[in-house]
Amino acid sequence: MRAGRSFRAVEGSPRLFESHHGDRRELWTEAVGELPPVYGERWVDAGSRRLRHFEPGRSKLAAAVVRGWSGDLPAPSERWLYLGAASGTTASHVADLVGPEGRVYALERSVRPFARLLSLADRWPNLRPILADARNPREYATLIPPVGGLYADIAQPDQLAIVIANAELLLSGSGTRLLIALKTPSMGRGRSAAGHRDASETTLADRMALAPSVSLEPFHRGHYMMGGRWGRSSKLPAPTATGATRPHGRRRGR
Amino acid sequence: MRPTLVVGNGPLLFILGPGERAIAGPFPIDPDLRRAAVRFNELGRDDLPAELVASIDPARAEETVLAAPARIARALEERLHRPVGEPNIDELRTARAAVPLLDASTERRFFLALGRVRLEEAMRSPEEVLITLAREEDRVERSVGREARAAESFVRVPGSPLDHHLDTWTRARDALGDLEDALRHSLESQAKLLVPNLSAVVGPRTAARLVATAGGVRPLARMPSARLQLLGSRRRPSPERGPRFGVLYRADRMADVPIGRRGAYARSLAALAAIAVRVDATTRRDLSAALVSRRDRRVDELRRKHG
Repeated sequence: MRAGRSFRAVEGSPRLFESHHGDRRELWTEAVGELPPVYGERWVDAGSRRLRHFEPGRSKLAAAVVRGWSGDLPAPSERWLYLGAASGTTASHVADLVGPEGRVYALERSVRPFARLLSLADRWPNLRPILADARNPREYATLIPPVGGLYADIAQPDQLAIVIANAELLLSGSGTRLLIALKTPSMGRGRSAAGHRDASETTLADRMALAPSVSLEPFHRGHYMMGGRWGRSSKLPAPTATGATRPHGRRRGR
Repeated sequence: MRPTLVVGNGPLLFILGPGERAIAGPFPIDPDLRRAAVRFNELGRDDLPAELVASIDPARAEETVLAAPARIARALEERLHRPVGEPNIDELRTARAAVPLLDASTERRFFLALGRVRLEEAMRSPEEVLITLAREEDRVERSVGREARAAESFVRVPGSPLDHHLDTWTRARDALGDLEDALRHSLESQAKLLVPNLSAVVGPRTAARLVATAGGVRPLARMPSARLQLLGSRRRPSPERGPRFGVLYRADRMADVPIGRRGAYARSLAALAAIAVRVDATTRRDLSAALVSRRDRRVDELRRKHG
């Protein structure tokens, strides 16, 4: 590390740090695992801590923080379910944020990214990889204890319905947290990106207390971070499988 | 009531009450999970939580795990006076809340074991084998090309210390070439088995690359031919001058078509390939002769028009 760089914990997130270089602000998470870097990110030693650079260009969660996300972030000792973990770029940072006493149950359905996630889990002690399709939460519900937070980053047109089905079954109750990296490019061309965001907010507003959504431009085109606190009411009907989130236009290519 | 025994891998599969009566479940249980349970138990009894070890008859541990789903279902049906299929969401939530947590290291071992089992299982499917072969062959082909070009700038100077490495380097390059041949051979036979019609129309290697790029036979079969045509292209589609082909550029007979007409050929070929892969994904009838003759007619037509 260069001399003179100082790291300060971000308010409300004891394992998330920031450093300032002139007008540039950088984010760091305190590593739970060991070197080598997970995806080529920088590591620095800051006193007794080892910090990993949390890049907004690589991770939607980092982009959300940079863009002023005011909702909750994963906090130490919490259990989080991560849908769409791929090879674990952001999942490793979520694992950093929940710390050694927390858990991240990371779901991925494609085999090749999962192979990398699995080898990451070998050296990231609080990461629990699961090869499964988030569409069928009942298939893995038995594996995962009730969780205090759910992070979703799924490139599917019905991503919101998938998230809701998982939240209904797997979140431990009211007041738990939900973070959704909404991928409007996967949601069809029937609406604009902002239109998809508004429709998704309407769908979620019945079920939870939403924090203000933030756009992840310019880091991730057409993406929003949305979420807040899950508020389950027994009077609510079970979430419908489809609903307003179905794309009206043609499905866009992967 | 607190569960006194949890069978399987700690809290994860079945929760039994006193007298091995099911008090939670039945959870959907798949063969992978069962295999993982058995493998996990093989890790050694010291790895299992003490309360679990105490309550399992060691001689019947595996049997208990394997027989549990049916027994639990029966017990539950008796108790609820109704057939148990899918548990409703409240039953599942209640059951999950009653499950005690495993200690961190046991849980970690379980997830790593289950992950490995599921991954091995998934990689065993012919489709995944084909996708892996296609990617590896692509990668090795690039390496072979790179090494061949490197040879051009390598000047041999007898007696130079560099000369000493030349033999090793030549052997390594040849070995890489052999690897590519072997990969291509397996790739082609695998493609002919998995997507016979598509292999006939575009050639087995291109067929394999199409499947690999799409991520599987079914995703490929669901694609419109316009997307299939551009699969694997690097440029962005644009109304002015978008790409005309991706993976298809190396399809069979592309080289026979005049350069200016290759986009047109790619378009026609993609249409035929889309039909072929849909047949391969569904009825698996052999349409190859008809499709190949249509393809060859189109090649002749394009050559005539151009000349």
